[in-house]
Amino acid sequence: MRIIQDKINEAVSTIMAYGGHGIRNCVQCGACSAVCPGVRAGFPLLCRNLIRHLLNGELEEIIEDASSWGCQACNRCTEVCPQGVRPQEVVFAFRRYQANQLAFSTSSVTSQMNLFETGHAVYTDPTEARKKVGLPEKTPTSAFDDQAKQEIQTLINNSPMGELGLF
Amino acid sequence: MEKIGLYLGCNIPLKAPDIEQSFRKVFPALGIEPVDLQGASCCPAWGTAPSFDLNTWCALSSRNLTIAEAQGVDIMTGCNSCFGVLSEAKHFMEDKDRRKAVNQSLAAINREYRGTADVYHVAHVLHRKVGAEKIREKLKYSLDALKIAVQTGCHALWPTDVYKVTENNPYYPTMLRELCEATGATVPHYSRLEGCCGMGGMRSTDAEKSLKLFREKLLSIKEETDADMIVTTCSSCFLQFDMSQPILKERGLIDFDPIPAFYYTQLLALAMGFNPGQVAAISQIDRGPIIGEIQSEKRLIKEVA
Amino acid sequence: MAKVGVYVCHCGSNIAGVIDVAAVRDFAETLPDVVVARKDLFMCSDSGQEMVKQDIRDGLVDRVVVAACTPRTHEPIFRAAIEKAGLNKYLFEMANIRDQDSWVHAHDHEGATEKAKKIVASAVAKARNLEPLEDKFVPVTDAALVIGGGIGGISAALELANMGHKTYLVEKRPSIGGVMAQLDKTFPTNDCSACILTPMMVEAYNHPNIETLTYSEVDDVSGYIGNFTVKIRQKQTYVDWSRCTGCGDCASKCPSKTPDEFNMGLSDRRAAYIMFPQAVPKKAVVDIEHCLHCAGREIGTLPKINEKTGRPILAPCERACPAEAINRSVAYDPAGAIKEVEVGSIIVATGYQVMDKGWFKEMAPDSPNVITALQLERIISATGPTEGKLLRPSDKEKPHTITFVSCMGSRDEHFHTYCSRFCCMYMIKQARLIKEKYPDITINMHFIDVRSAGKGYDEYYTGARKMGINIFKGKVGGLEMLPDDRLRVLAYDMEAATGIEYESDLVVLATAVELPQDATALAQKLGLQFCGSNFFRELHPKLGPVETATEGLFLAGCCQGPKDIPDTVAQAKGAAAAAAVPLAQGKVRIEPIISEVHAETCSGCGICIPLCPYHAISITTYADRPRAQIEMSACKGCGVCTSACPSGAIVLHGYDESQIFAQIEALTA
Repeated sequence: MRIIQDKINEAVSTIMAYGGHGIRNCVQCGACSAVCPGVRAGFPLLCRNLIRHLLNGELEEIIEDASSWGCQACNRCTEVCPQGVRPQEVVFAFRRYQANQLAFSTSSVTSQMNLFETGHAVYTDPTEARKKVGLPEKTPTSAFDDQAKQEIQTLINNSPMGELGLF
Repeated sequence: MEKIGLYLGCNIPLKAPDIEQSFRKVFPALGIEPVDLQGASCCPAWGTAPSFDLNTWCALSSRNLTIAEAQGVDIMTGCNSCFGVLSEAKHFMEDKDRRKAVNQSLAAINREYRGTADVYHVAHVLHRKVGAEKIREKLKYSLDALKIAVQTGCHALWPTDVYKVTENNPYYPTMLRELCEATGATVPHYSRLEGCCGMGGMRSTDAEKSLKLFREKLLSIKEETDADMIVTTCSSCFLQFDMSQPILKERGLIDFDPIPAFYYTQLLALAMGFNPGQVAAISQIDRGPIIGEIQSEKRLIKEVA
Repeated sequence: MAKVGVYVCHCGSNIAGVIDVAAVRDFAETLPDVVVARKDLFMCSDSGQEMVKQDIRDGLVDRVVVAACTPRTHEPIFRAAIEKAGLNKYLFEMANIRDQDSWVHAHDHEGATEKAKKIVASAVAKARNLEPLEDKFVPVTDAALVIGGGIGGISAALELANMGHKTYLVEKRPSIGGVMAQLDKTFPTNDCSACILTPMMVEAYNHPNIETLTYSEVDDVSGYIGNFTVKIRQKQTYVDWSRCTGCGDCASKCPSKTPDEFNMGLSDRRAAYIMFPQAVPKKAVVDIEHCLHCAGREIGTLPKINEKTGRPILAPCERACPAEAINRSVAYDPAGAIKEVEVGSIIVATGYQVMDKGWFKEMAPDSPNVITALQLERIISATGPTEGKLLRPSDKEKPHTITFVSCMGSRDEHFHTYCSRFCCMYMIKQARLIKEKYPDITINMHFIDVRSAGKGYDEYYTGARKMGINIFKGKVGGLEMLPDDRLRVLAYDMEAATGIEYESDLVVLATAVELPQDATALAQKLGLQFCGSNFFRELHPKLGPVETATEGLFLAGCCQGPKDIPDTVAQAKGAAAAAAVPLAQGKVRIEPIISEVHAETCSGCGICIPLCPYHAISITTYADRPRAQIEMSACKGCGVCTSACPSGAIVLHGYDESQIFAQIEALTA
């Protein structure tokens, strides 16, 4: 691998712009990866290793890797990090980079559609189940509230997410 | 009665409304009045806006928080992910520039985030506001000699710097244990107590890896505690325990019968004598026998005049 | 009319790389009273100094301005030079155009040059108004105080004593020896710590020039270099040390138990106890806080009389003592005794503590089998709780797998951002000692990286690999508690980029080195400052490593920053040499750049008194009226009193009003 400073700068500034502000604090101690459920489950590019690749200037090279989507967002990495990197925010920044380059799975698209249409990322018709347990068939949530849905759609349409062409 | 905004999220009202019903039964009996947050949406889940754009995440979370702000109540979530997402968003909103930008977006829907509503978890409200003593007083059945393995779940533990309420030691949490012990049950420690169950992004991205992690945790529970049931205060963890044990069993990856799982307020509702058909009605694993055991005659606590 | 010479230094490219030195020189020539302006590649070189000296000898200049670097390092050089040429050395002014100009404005050559001109103009304006000043001298008490009786304090005390200076060695615990006395063996040679330390402890204790005061603490310090008065509190031992033979019979009979500090809480000691077998002095103390006051008899009261025998019923410790050193009828003063000593210099060698494991929540601090490295040191030491047998605390069984975890609380923004420097090496030492004795034990060591800078250190580390000790790069993220008090280690192998998980019987944490809590109180008594890492601050990180901002006060060992035994001893000997300078000279120079009160102008209001950080100002009577008076040997010339005086009655020599206003005028011109 060749080390090219311009690529490193680009990777770091991209990650920082997407919210991974602590990336340059990383001293590669590996404490985050030691407790990361994703690393332990076998995702190769999370926490310490993802940061290493980014600090080597890799972005497009790893864009198709699905590891970041295996991040549980559990933030245990943030709790153990001795340098204030907040590794989860770096992982999510990379995920945002991937998402904005449309490098995400089709299952992910379903949740975005659900969120846009009902205000719920996970949506199934609750009528039967609710009736069964003695609750009103309609939830007091956005799913049955037109104004709420309108508000959510406005927020998403006005955001960079609205420009992805998913909705 | 103290009011608190009941933030439902997605899984609880849509997939597991018996958990929602258990909230609605248990809290008023314990002196807390849950009020509905009309029009609240998804927190938004980690895989949605948080994975695309930080400010959109904050805007959608803030919208939910403004519903509570308008009613002058704090928020109580039943789902750990919601607790994590809303707490993190609140943390991000402490940044002045971000707050300004997000409030500009919210202006389009005539809302403004002020940061006046705090975010609590159901477990926090029960542990801090209600307390074990009051729970004990309201029990109809004693869970004496029943063994419970508890699952607190990641998003109620870390990162401690963004949460309103934290464990004394997040790596060895005790709140849920104490809540379960209040019912009279025994709650032994097991080594993977703080470990992730594998639900969440991992489950949808790579189910096999998720199951591998889940199995490790489950074996630790089985081998070290031989628990009668698993009790959690995370609706995602609940779904994983309820849905994935039968899968492991079917594949021959575990050689024991799936351990019934409950959301804590379901267990509490049963111990308080509420109708299982309303508060613990939906599960993959057959919970009939254990519910029968919990609400059996011999467990009735005699009224002390 | 003053004749000012200005000498502009290139400082190689440090200054000339940014500032147009020739332009500054040309500008200086135009300033009032400047008779000559020159420049040189290095003004501090022999030739540079000679240039100044020649101009003085030629009668060309009688005030000197050198525009160069910082007076902190270079003022003494130039002052000495002009004094040699026959000029009063205080007729010198330095213009710092490097640290305060070229270094901070490296990207703005033009601006830096203009700023240099201003700085030079200001220095010249002051120089025109300089007056000759005379050094003053005060006599010195030929004695030294060393605070702390660890290896640093012992080394420093021996060095001073061997030079012939009376030395007081003060130690707060009952015995000298410090942390080194708790260690089993020492890296990289594996020699027994006690074997090399005990002879030094004995030598110090028996040295005719050393007075060792153990179980003692510094209560108060006043005075200044050459003439400190120190009050030392000798804590109450409740044992007559003139009779105590150190037999330990009192300890064997005492029924009270409390965690043994020397064994890091891994065993109990009695309330009556001797600190450790090789203690020097080997004397018992009664720790009154943990004394049970047997039979309800408070200390200082007479014993009950046995009705049958008519003999007194003595406490077990009293009865056990064959030397009659314990007499609980004596009304001892619980505050102990104050001993006042006069010394010329003071060395602080108060050492360190290691962080408690309780800080590290992810590391199963409640498990008995998670221990600090210092606890392991006691476990493998022959004088420790298991008499040197390697047994894990929970069940006193031999462990099969041992885990070492580095950087606990070091290099961590939650605790200490610095590296504790010697943990890597002592962990490797412990691992090697265990592996040598028990080759069947699996040893896994986890480092962020291995820091083995030192003579023979890296070979010691690579040797550990050859012995079959497993070394992993990657910080341990957590421990999970398993049944049977075993621990699951959640670690990471950075080189293989993979998580590691295994079960361990004993986990050793290398917790960070830090100053003990009581260091703050001592710092206040001595006027010591703290550095960013919260150790005592030395005068200069490179060139004044043993000196402090207070003259006559020196540092040695870990109280100045983490260091291993060789470095501690080296620094202690250095501190002793520096502390001996005023003692050997017999007098100390008092800089004349200090404040003085004009008694005629002073109103006696006293505003200056509480402001003085050196307690140098008092009220005296002058012409029947109260007036402030400054003790010249205590004044450091900070100028706080001068600027605060509402009557303008206090002059700071070397920075008087005319000089400062001339500088301001030049800077704002």
